[in-house]
Amino acid sequence: MTAPVVELRGVSCEVGTAPPRAIVRDVSFSVGPGETLVLLGRSGSGKTTTLKLINRLVDPSRGAVMVAGRPTGALPPYRLRRGIGYVIQEVGLLPHLTVAENVGLVPRLERWARERIEARVRELLTLVGLAPERFAERRPHELSGGQRQRVGVARALAVDPPLLLLDEPFGALDPITRAELQREFKGLSARLGKAMVFVTHDVREGLLLGTRIGLMQDGRLVFLGDAGEFRRSPHPEVRAFLEAAA
Amino acid sequence: MNLVRFYVDNAREVLGLVGQHLLLVLVSTAVAVAIGVPLGILLTRRPAWRGPVLGLANVFQTIPSLALFGFLIPLPLLGGIGARTAIVALVVYGLLPIVRNTYVGISGIDPAVREAARGMGMTDGELLRLVELPLAAGVILAGIRVATVVGVGTATIAAAIGAGGLGEYIFRGVAVVDNTLILAGAVPAALLALSADGLLGLLERRFAWR
Amino acid sequence: MAIDGRALTDFLAVAVGRSGGRRVALALLAVLCASCSHADRIVVGAKNFTESDLLAEIAAQQIERRTGLPVERKLHLGGTFVCHSAITAGQIDLYVEYTGTAYTAVLKHTAGADADSVREAVAHEYRQRWALVWLDPFGFNNTFAIAVRQADAQRLGLRTISDLARVAPRWHAGFGYEFLNRADGFPGLAAAYGLHFAAPPTAMDLGLTYRALADGKVDVIAGNSTDGQLAALHLVVLADDRHYFPPYEAAPVVRGELLEQHPEVGRALLELRGKIDDDEMRRLNAQADIDHKDLHAIAHDWLAQAVP
Repeated sequence: MTAPVVELRGVSCEVGTAPPRAIVRDVSFSVGPGETLVLLGRSGSGKTTTLKLINRLVDPSRGAVMVAGRPTGALPPYRLRRGIGYVIQEVGLLPHLTVAENVGLVPRLERWARERIEARVRELLTLVGLAPERFAERRPHELSGGQRQRVGVARALAVDPPLLLLDEPFGALDPITRAELQREFKGLSARLGKAMVFVTHDVREGLLLGTRIGLMQDGRLVFLGDAGEFRRSPHPEVRAFLEAAA
Repeated sequence: MNLVRFYVDNAREVLGLVGQHLLLVLVSTAVAVAIGVPLGILLTRRPAWRGPVLGLANVFQTIPSLALFGFLIPLPLLGGIGARTAIVALVVYGLLPIVRNTYVGISGIDPAVREAARGMGMTDGELLRLVELPLAAGVILAGIRVATVVGVGTATIAAAIGAGGLGEYIFRGVAVVDNTLILAGAVPAALLALSADGLLGLLERRFAWR
Repeated sequence: MAIDGRALTDFLAVAVGRSGGRRVALALLAVLCASCSHADRIVVGAKNFTESDLLAEIAAQQIERRTGLPVERKLHLGGTFVCHSAITAGQIDLYVEYTGTAYTAVLKHTAGADADSVREAVAHEYRQRWALVWLDPFGFNNTFAIAVRQADAQRLGLRTISDLARVAPRWHAGFGYEFLNRADGFPGLAAAYGLHFAAPPTAMDLGLTYRALADGKVDVIAGNSTDGQLAALHLVVLADDRHYFPPYEAAPVVRGELLEQHPEVGRALLELRGKIDDDEMRRLNAQADIDHKDLHAIAHDWLAQAVP
């Protein structure tokens, strides 16, 4: 039994003081290498906050968050985050840098040698389906939404982190591009063998991409299991999601 | 024309005064940038200070320049007659545009970019150096441009407190009611202001990202 | 200056074209008149230093209390040349000028030392060229005071301006803009005494030169001999041993037309003749510059006691 890459034990997150509001309540799960956990839920169910608890963009009020066996609070936040790939819906490419410079950002922060960075950037761009000769020197504003998110994924994989966090990465794309990227992503994640936590509110995307599904409702994890178990579950929230997807 | 003959006859003195004027503006702008940009950055980290700091800089801006020179003269370290007092006053006037534009430039950065940068593991220093300052550079330069152009004009008043510069011709001209003298000071000052505006405008456009 | 008010309002009323026009026209006329030269007020101007403001205030109050005519003050107007331009253009009716200044700076003669001949020459030319009348002087001589710090005077044995010429090459001077540019100011003085300073003198607002001297930023200034700060800052005035400066007697200069229309103004101002000697002027200046007493109060109290 391999050690989990991410583990949450009884994690809660509260905001405000009068009175404090719980965004995440007593959530526990673990994700191993090669697994993709999809966090599914309505808006406001706490799935994005749960994701951000992992790379410490948000601090837990209670419970333990562990990455690679170590509590996330044991490291300075920047050190923790360099070992975790992070992909967000708006992508957030730096507009004043080229595609190549964007992808090579974390290796640059980690002071890799220039040739090593260049080689890695070419390898990654090819991996996400962007020909380096055509795209490396472009700037983000010259790319389409789909192309930008491919760059975002390439960037997240730059230093080959064991864990990837994705927050509705394809949510802002048109349906055709979204479907295309979902297919490619599925193939990619199978090859890479990384642990992933993938947040989405789209059931079909979740069933397609996840090895397991975690359904969140009002901050609690109300279901955790594989796709088959999901389809058979009697839980009302699961039923609601399945009906909406039908 | 009278003015041209005046410049030819007094070339050395004119160049000397232009040099003095430039020195006043360059030194004061440099100091205002050295104080104002870090202050603007600080305001983005401590939003609670924004109101008081920008409010104070705003108040400074409204003080009439001759009055500010007058206030500063009796002060022990910063005051006295001469270039130093003038530079302090010019720094005070340059602060608001620089601080405000630094703050606006940095806080106007796309939050998604900021989140991605944090999420990939940038330290605060790296965030400032690689993301915030490059993206805000255009707006910050716009603030520096305003401070410089205002500074060229305000520096003409410095002659009243013995700081030299092109204002000397203007004050002399006013004292003896000689329009040629007044123009001799005002025209180069205006030209200086226009050139500073143009040069910094070019620089600003090069760095604009939006 | 006579504008037919009724004719103008009728014209404007026609121009504006309706019954409300007359009210508008009257309002416009009032605005215009407020900015054009007085037909009914006397305007007293002053140069941009305390003594000039004070004497102007004294003259203004004297006219008010003796004649009851309305007086407007335009104090601290500017230097000699600004006031001269203003009075010749009719924008002010009177200001206090100094005979020596008029003789050398305005009329551009080379200085004569004799007070009477300077006074006569000035009165004659002002009347002839500009219809301006010089009334009798107040009674004091306010010449340029080339001043240095007391410590320096004692240490270097400085008593005259010739002594200054000795140390000038190592020293720094600070002067007001007018002194630097008047023919009878620094250029003439430097020529007469062979003054060569280490660097060209620093130019600044006249009022600041005292502070600059006291703070050690400059070593010599040209103040006025009746200034209050001379005693207060313990400054030493160097004697004009070559008699370079002409006498500077202060007297009111008035537009001839005003005196013809209102001879009582002339009579009122003549009462002030000879009433202020050097010490008295210094005392009054000190009340303003050192004690920071209000000019209006100083003038009022002095008049009540000296010209009852």
